[in-house]
Amino acid sequence: MKRLVEIKNVFKSYDDNLVLKNINLYINENEFVTLLGPSGCGKTTLLRLIGGFEDADQGTIFFNGRSILEVPAYERNINTVFQKYALFPHLNVYENIAFGLRIKKCPKEEIEQEVRRVLKLVKLEGFEKRHINKLSGGQQQRVAIARAVVNKPKLLLLDEPLGALDLKLRQDMQYELKAMQQKLGISFIFVTHDQEEALTMSDTVVVMDDGVIQQIGTPEDIYNEPKNRFTADFIGESNIIHAVMKQDKLVHFEGLDHICVDVGFNKNEQVDVVIRPEDIVLQESNDKKINGIVDDITFKGVHYEIIVMVGSKEYVVHSTDKQEIGDQVSLHFDPDEIHVMKKT
Amino acid sequence: MSRLKKLTIPYIVWMIVLVAVPTLLIMLLAISDLDIFNLGAFSFTLDEFAELKRPEIRIATINSIRLSSLATSLCLLIGYPVAYYLANSPSKNKTFFVSLLIIPVWSNMLLRIIAWEKLFYPNSILNDFFNIGLDLIGKDIAIIIGMLSMYLPFMILPIYSVLEKMDKSLIEASKDLGANNVSTFIKITLPLSLSGVVSGIIMTLLPAMTAFALPERLSGGNTLLIGNIIEDYFVKSGNINLGSLISIILMIFIIVLFIIVVRFDKEGETLI
Repeated sequence: MKRLVEIKNVFKSYDDNLVLKNINLYINENEFVTLLGPSGCGKTTLLRLIGGFEDADQGTIFFNGRSILEVPAYERNINTVFQKYALFPHLNVYENIAFGLRIKKCPKEEIEQEVRRVLKLVKLEGFEKRHINKLSGGQQQRVAIARAVVNKPKLLLLDEPLGALDLKLRQDMQYELKAMQQKLGISFIFVTHDQEEALTMSDTVVVMDDGVIQQIGTPEDIYNEPKNRFTADFIGESNIIHAVMKQDKLVHFEGLDHICVDVGFNKNEQVDVVIRPEDIVLQESNDKKINGIVDDITFKGVHYEIIVMVGSKEYVVHSTDKQEIGDQVSLHFDPDEIHVMKKT
Repeated sequence: MSRLKKLTIPYIVWMIVLVAVPTLLIMLLAISDLDIFNLGAFSFTLDEFAELKRPEIRIATINSIRLSSLATSLCLLIGYPVAYYLANSPSKNKTFFVSLLIIPVWSNMLLRIIAWEKLFYPNSILNDFFNIGLDLIGKDIAIIIGMLSMYLPFMILPIYSVLEKMDKSLIEASKDLGANNVSTFIKITLPLSLSGVVSGIIMTLLPAMTAFALPERLSGGNTLLIGNIIEDYFVKSGNINLGSLISIILMIFIIVLFIIVVRFDKEGETLI
């Protein structure tokens, strides 16, 4: 696969506040990459650097093999879908979408043909003459996407574009965006703080916190093999437990030795262990397992969310079997469902 | 009647006594031969309309239009870049520069006009300190400079207020779509600030066109604008009926311009 974007040793600060600390990242052609992290983690700043709206303090950004730090935003073959869409309020739907093509002085027939093509792509045929203020949030979002992709960029940047939509519409748009990306055959960089959105749509997820890339991987990697406490905690619900690695494939926590599949740690190294709530099975209490008392149970639709107190530590368990509050239970999990991480 | 409504009574009385009654009186004066200093029998007449052809009215009208549109154009040329710069400067500077614009407006206009007048005579303080003797009184340039200094803030502020509220991401979106700085200004910034420009033009043009103290002082009484004619008819030559008619025509003109502003600026964000 060909590398489309390559970001090398990029630093960025506002005043004295360092918001990007040595970012290294590459994005392949035709790849859907999500920058995921809490607000203030630097993900939007990184996107703005790629778009050309901010300058890096240090480092380089290559696009198609060429450094683009000196290239102004309007000369980059990259388009952006802005957070609040930034549609031009004095132009109608057609003119908003045609804006980029008019700047390039495309012939009139071509503009008309291209605008119709993308309107069809975003399912807004017949909306040409509509005024921007007369559109719903979801429709504005589609116009913003159409306005960007009509220019046939190699890379589309999306800055939390689904944030303003309601849940149902947001879920629909997630699938549509993914389908659109595959149909267009271009790379998407999608910024979000919503982990479910990131896991649903991406080929690659880049988890960021505090200006640092915490982990890069496929959604499955990120979910199943989080590299550190932050990623484990940020992606989905987790039980994170202090533990000691006794030897390869043997970890000790909650007063018991557990067989696991992780290797490569020092003898008796302090580690964090992650067990996902859906990987724990509750059974009758058993001296050889971790025992606890059901403290709370909430119906979540597909499953029950059960809080089990083991001493003073809470364990979250997702189960389709109901338990009663106060039940004595033991926690069961398979060796490959224990994931050991280095302490950070 | 609710208590709140009662509180509006002083205002309503004020409006009736000081606005509605005088306006009606002026209207009456304009279309009758009523003598304000000799109230008594009067008859309606449209004779004054014929008097509008008087040469001094024609000259004053041309002067008003010529000088006010020149001053307004210069205000726009100078004011737009200032407003643009202000709107895009860091917020802590904004308050400072906007105060610099507003504070002079709070001081008495006649005082400022007289201050300019003193500077425009050859033996001014400029001569004492810097050996510069200006001799501008009676020349159009004196009136233009005076108008610029009086009305420039009224051009800058509405444009600034529109540009300030404009979503900066629209500029980024335009550049993102390939437009350079110049195209972005022409295609995005300018059209979106048009309501401010229209308000600014009208808020400069109107007072400039109807000014009377300013041209009188800065032209040494040589250049008459329409305001001077009205003043002359009312105060000096006692031709109150003709003065009233001109006032009414001006008022209609102002109302028409106001309607234009409201059309362009539906939210009223540029009106000060």
